[in-house]
Amino acid sequence: MKVGLEVHQQLATGKLFCRCPSELSDETLGSFSRRLRPSSGEDRRVDPAAAFEASRGLSYRYEFGPLDCLVEMDEEPPRALSEDALDVALTLALLLSARPVDEVAVMRKIVVDGSNTSGFQRTALVAVDGSLEVRGKHHEILSICLEEDAARKAGEGAGEIVYRLDRLGIPLVEIATGPDISSGPEAREVAEEIGALLRATGRVRRGIGTIREDLNVSIEGGHRIEIKGVQELRRLSDYADGEATRQQALLSVRDELHRRGATVGSAPPVDVTSLLHKIPSGPLSSSSRKEGPVLALPLRGFAGLLGPIPGTEERLGRELADQARAVGLRGLIHSDELPGYGVTDTDIAALRAHLGLGEKDAFVLVADASSERGTLALHRVATRATSAIEGIPGETRDPLPDGRTRYSRPLPGRHRMYPETDIPPIPITTARLERLQASLPERPTARMERLERQYGLNRELVRQVVYGGFADTFEALTARGHSPALVVRLLVQDVPAIAPRPDGSAFEPSVARLDQVLTAANAGRFGKEGIPRVLEALARGAPDVDSAIAATGLEGLTAEALAALVDRIVRAQAPLIRERGKEAFMPLMGDVMREVRGRRDGREVAEELRRAIQRVADGTTDGKPAEGS
Amino acid sequence: MVVGSSSDPFAALSALPRGQKVEIRDSRGHTWNGTIVPSHELSGSRIVSLKLESGYNVGVSVDSGTTFRVISHPPPEHHPASAPPAASASVESDGWITLLTTGGTIASRVDYDTGGVRPVSDEKEILAFYPELKNSGAVRIVPVFDRLSEDVGPPDWLVLANDVAEAFRKGARGVVIAHGTDTLGFTAAGLSFLLADLPGPVVLVGAQRSPDRPSSDGPSNLEAAATVARDRRLGEVVVVMHAGFSDDRFAIHRGTWVRKMHSSRRDAFESRNGPPLGTVEGGKVHLLPVVRAPSAGPARVEGPVDDRAGLLWFYPGLTPERARSFSEGLRGIVLAGTGLGHIRSSLIEWARTLTDKGVVVAMTTQCLEGGADPYVYATGRELLRAGVLYLDDLLPETAYAKLVWALGRAKTASEVRELLTRDRAGEFLRRHRPEAEA
Repeated sequence: MKVGLEVHQQLATGKLFCRCPSELSDETLGSFSRRLRPSSGEDRRVDPAAAFEASRGLSYRYEFGPLDCLVEMDEEPPRALSEDALDVALTLALLLSARPVDEVAVMRKIVVDGSNTSGFQRTALVAVDGSLEVRGKHHEILSICLEEDAARKAGEGAGEIVYRLDRLGIPLVEIATGPDISSGPEAREVAEEIGALLRATGRVRRGIGTIREDLNVSIEGGHRIEIKGVQELRRLSDYADGEATRQQALLSVRDELHRRGATVGSAPPVDVTSLLHKIPSGPLSSSSRKEGPVLALPLRGFAGLLGPIPGTEERLGRELADQARAVGLRGLIHSDELPGYGVTDTDIAALRAHLGLGEKDAFVLVADASSERGTLALHRVATRATSAIEGIPGETRDPLPDGRTRYSRPLPGRHRMYPETDIPPIPITTARLERLQASLPERPTARMERLERQYGLNRELVRQVVYGGFADTFEALTARGHSPALVVRLLVQDVPAIAPRPDGSAFEPSVARLDQVLTAANAGRFGKEGIPRVLEALARGAPDVDSAIAATGLEGLTAEALAALVDRIVRAQAPLIRERGKEAFMPLMGDVMREVRGRRDGREVAEELRRAIQRVADGTTDGKPAEGS
Repeated sequence: MVVGSSSDPFAALSALPRGQKVEIRDSRGHTWNGTIVPSHELSGSRIVSLKLESGYNVGVSVDSGTTFRVISHPPPEHHPASAPPAASASVESDGWITLLTTGGTIASRVDYDTGGVRPVSDEKEILAFYPELKNSGAVRIVPVFDRLSEDVGPPDWLVLANDVAEAFRKGARGVVIAHGTDTLGFTAAGLSFLLADLPGPVVLVGAQRSPDRPSSDGPSNLEAAATVARDRRLGEVVVVMHAGFSDDRFAIHRGTWVRKMHSSRRDAFESRNGPPLGTVEGGKVHLLPVVRAPSAGPARVEGPVDDRAGLLWFYPGLTPERARSFSEGLRGIVLAGTGLGHIRSSLIEWARTLTDKGVVVAMTTQCLEGGADPYVYATGRELLRAGVLYLDDLLPETAYAKLVWALGRAKTASEVRELLTRDRAGEFLRRHRPEAEA
């Protein structure tokens, strides 16, 4: 198994080709609708992936908001490439010992799935031939590119896909490794190392969807498969291993198809509507089907090979159904899953007789209101079935939440790239590289060692701080006199625990804001146990720390009020104290903390309680309820 | 072949044909493998551009220490795999329209030799680019020019007008003219004055995004223009372009009312002083009652043109000396004055001298909306006395096109003035309705 990784990281600079901020917004000011069609590159060939998207005949609706401009709408030429973003990409090139190009040429990569208003993604190769060592193994870094992120999908309707423009144009650094990773877990380790390096620049966006990985997986005898846009690092190894398993399983089916001499005819699909006593349910009962015909495709020699592949959860039927779905059908029914879906044995016999099929033969049924689309679907199914006899077709696949993947489109070729003539080439000068070299960020490994030494923290905590990208904030806060242990807990535990905003962006308080929270806690305005609640209030929109504290109700318990509260509880429990002496501390502490509810620091409460218990034990308190309390 | 430092490696690499595969080794020993592609016009002075196997282009700096070797020779010239278009005169039972091409963005593509956009005039290439052109019926294509619109001028308007008349004589239902957008408004106005007795629509159309982009507005604009050109209710020169950001709604502008109001937006063209004549939506043409109906024909060209005409945009620093040097050799001048049609008082004498010599001086407003009116301010009344002709609500560009036509048609200043003030193509609105408040 060979795996190559492409890590895409959003940068926190402004957008790449316009001067809009790299931020998301759910506010919509308007929308417009467009159509795209493939255009040919320098050598006048149309890319297969582009031709595929165009064949779907969709229109695209784009919603724009307060953060977008005419560039994202493809109503204005791009502005100059962001120098900030280029600096970050070059910094990474230097950190990865890669070789920057002499002159950056911005390219247009044709992508006509509507996710770019222009129909292409602007991308530029910045450096090549780097290397990265992870756990003693040397990994090749093939390329470091700078490209614009696509619009984010907001919905899908009949013949229309809806996108929001806010994400379009956010700079992405793409770091591609060689195909030298040999297992799923190793892929994850390499991704983590690259992620730490990216965060070391201090110029990357944080939160869900701000870093995405593509996996290129191939096995002996199989084909390179690109799994695009994995957002969860911990899922990387599932997808890599799952893809290897899928290819193995499909290769075993191929061997059997070979042995049987299976074939897929090139005859047009057969209309079998009249042979069925009723329209089948399930994948064929889509509401969009209406009165369209049921079409059949014979697959000779495929019987028994479309269902589950022994020892795996894979099935060839699913691969075929993906092809039908790619043109907008809900799916298909194949003969290995019949009788079922309302198709009876009588129906099957009639179908087999009509199609002239034997014992070893299978068939596939689709239905759609448009018989053209049904025919197109079966044409694709036939192509996929034919390649099943040959091996594994190269594909781009989408990761699914359950750890599996699904066909999305053919692998794009090099024909989809042609020069972006609206952007002049950008020379990479020696002076620029020298300036960046002089201010290179500390490498994650070096930083871990230093933090361990300097703050006396244990290795695992330091690792979380550095690999989590919190190191700068950690050092800024400790420099302001906050306890390292408290700051680590704040950054590694408390802040990440805050749920992301509705738009998916993470809660990212500034250093100043965190300093205010810690200062308020240190000053005793509320207990350190209350920190998560104050953060929560800030994440939910409290304008400042004071209002956040007020919103949580943590404040208001003054030192005097705490003394009175402790005094009241101690007086009520005086018999217990007299009976058990200092042993009474633990149960009483529980009672007191329940009433304090994080409003004062635990240590302070404990001291107050100890003193009060001492007073009772000394007889300086009478054990009668105090007046007025 | 290895070229050492003895000869100039940059010159040697630059001499290689496009498509040649090479390995370039710089003085530090780093290598680049790729195919020679043309460098960008703005590339650095000693940069060779390579297309790598990944499809990316990079610029490689070549100094005297660089060496290279040729890996393989370029493949034979690749011919476009586009399907040959069906004969232009396919099914013509429902009549045909004629497409005149002139160049411009709508008929151009990226030129990888220069990195810029270059025009295409080849009929096959145009049909391969725009298969949707024939969605509404048969189309005959006549290439007229092959240039960007900044190079289309008054003599060309006459050439186009003759081709339009010729197309109608041959029986076309309507004519579409694909034109660059920069001066499309001028040409539309020029044709409006040159053509008479139109039996069908003459539709100018352009694109704000070149057709090598999947998002080009060319295909949908052209499809809408072809639909309008087949409309039997219309007998005038119009411009059809996007009505907004979307690819599904198009505005039909009268050729004399329209102006490019944005440098890049798809909906850059706007009718001034009022709404457009109509829209195309969902393949249906909606027209306001003010449209000019087709004439019984035959279409006539009333030329010639005389381009001894000028268009002068007044600005506060315009001195009589500068104005004098501008007006040399001209038979007529359109002024785009401020507000209701004013220029500084020191220029009034310059205007009087010109009109005394028989030069026609006409006034429009640089506000682009509203009319020029000489009666409201003293300056206007003085200009009127100095012989300046006020052209009410004509756009400066429309007034210029009309002047070019009128100078061609008439000898004396008074005849020219007479032609300028008389409505010819529905160019005067004279009734300005309030915009609906948002």
